[in-house]
Amino acid sequence: MVAIRFIAVDGSAQTIDATVGISLMENAVANGVEAIEAICGGNAYCGTCRVHVEPEWRKITGPITEIEEPMIEASGDTDPGVRLSCQIEVTEALEGLVVHTPESQS
Amino acid sequence: MSSAQVQGCPVRHGRDDRKSARLADANLQPAKNARVVGSFAAAREILRSPKVRQAGASADQIDLSRPEEISFFFLDGDKHRKRRAAVAGLFAPKTIVTRHRAVMDRTMDAIVADLQGRGSAPLDELSWQMAVDVAAEIVGLTESDSNVNLANRVKAVLDSSVSRKPGFLNTLLFNAKMIPRVGKFWKHDLAPAIEARKRQPKDDVISYMVKENYSKKGMIMECLSYGGAGMMTTREFIVMAAWHLFEKPELRERFLTGGEDDQFAILEEILRLEPVASLLHRKAAEPVEGTQGASVQEGETVCVSIREANTDEAITGPCPYELDPDRAKRMKVVGPYLSFGDGPHRCPGAQVALHETRVFLDRLFRLPGIRLVSEPEIQWNPQIQGYELRGAVVACDPA
Ligand code: HEM
Ligand code: FES
Repeated sequence: MVAIRFIAVDGSAQTIDATVGISLMENAVANGVEAIEAICGGNAYCGTCRVHVEPEWRKITGPITEIEEPMIEASGDTDPGVRLSCQIEVTEALEGLVVHTPESQS
Repeated sequence: MSSAQVQGCPVRHGRDDRKSARLADANLQPAKNARVVGSFAAAREILRSPKVRQAGASADQIDLSRPEEISFFFLDGDKHRKRRAAVAGLFAPKTIVTRHRAVMDRTMDAIVADLQGRGSAPLDELSWQMAVDVAAEIVGLTESDSNVNLANRVKAVLDSSVSRKPGFLNTLLFNAKMIPRVGKFWKHDLAPAIEARKRQPKDDVISYMVKENYSKKGMIMECLSYGGAGMMTTREFIVMAAWHLFEKPELRERFLTGGEDDQFAILEEILRLEPVASLLHRKAAEPVEGTQGASVQEGETVCVSIREANTDEAITGPCPYELDPDRAKRMKVVGPYLSFGDGPHRCPGAQVALHETRVFLDRLFRLPGIRLVSEPEIQWNPQIQGYELRGAVVACDPA
């Protein structure tokens, strides 16, 4: 289990105990993080699982992967830390990760 | 899941709200030699695996050396990813809200005016118009003499595919090139749209095909696969959802008073029980050994049974045949379960279909005097290997 913190636009925060080996999105949904809608179930087709990774974590979570590009572009989300959380696999290295959720997922 | 709940509602004795299950059981034909997979977890793992390829009657016979001649429905790997990525923005939630929603509202205005003028109308005719208008906008079929004529010509082409091959959409694509009705569709709908996009490209599938120099055959095939995948499916789903809502006053009340999220939850739960596509075939290019039960040998063909997977108690919880709009949230699963497939080929139009169905039914059920004057007859459509609802007639008070 690794601790990951989700911060909403209004500043409210929720820390979850995430399971290693599954995606950040699946962990968020399993722990009731409402701001992660994930309507395509983790296929990188909906862009409704977006998170904004805090600057100091971006090296560890890595850049946007090719499969994420079309939906991130279509969402118009230009935050420099934007990623699809369904494409981030939770590993031990993410202990203490902080991500922000966007105001709207559509 | 508590054992008390299971005991209180054993699957075989619980309520069964499905309308299409019996017909599907009698008609569904997995491809020869295909092993049927019905566990949700294993099915999803197979559909997501990069080691499997599209399979089924026509997928095996398609000449993959000419990717610009075939629908991306039959491609796999990098070529498939590239094509999907090129049109992904057309299906994004934001595009639906900022662009397609206007088409849905406009079409619904026309449908309501038509219904109020006539007093009554066949429901599948109205749902077909909605499905065609929305898909036509995405594809770029916007230069036809009228959208009613476009709908009729598309229908004529799709209806003339007669033979029967197992799997979702397999017959349609295999037979399309032989059909003379394609000529009319080409002349009146597709050719004018291509000419217009050559002069001025837009953000739609035809503009992309023009840019990538698709052959005439390739363009027709792509349009027909959108026709089959997007139009025929949505027509049936709208009627099915309406039928459930006409029949269940409490559910209808909840649909009309709930917010959009609740409306989607209701529609998705209906789609879980009444999936329009039932079987998806895949062949393993390499052995697949998953952690959730997927195990496919190299060269083996499997048939994912959407109906079985959608009612797999391991993921639905107890009483899998009962219509329970709160189920998916409770079980933390995506609402439609596997009704839109999963993995690289998952339906790109899923959200579009749900939105247009929501818009259609929300307007329909608010019409003064709306009633179902005759129930649909449920038939089998071999092209999509799914149900077809004909003969439902709705009536409302004049405007
Ligand atoms: C209730 C309505 C719909 C249902 C039940 C449905 C179902 C499906 C399913 C199950 C697949 C996956 C096929 C596979 O894995 O082999 C699929 C693929 C597809 N659907 Fe839908 N669909 C619907 C609406 C739409 C709409 C509205 C559009 C477009 C306007 C659309 C376009 C497509 C396309 C292009 C594919 C092929 C994707 C690929 O192979 O990568 N569908 N659909
Ligand atoms: S869950 Fe749909 S893009 Fe991540």
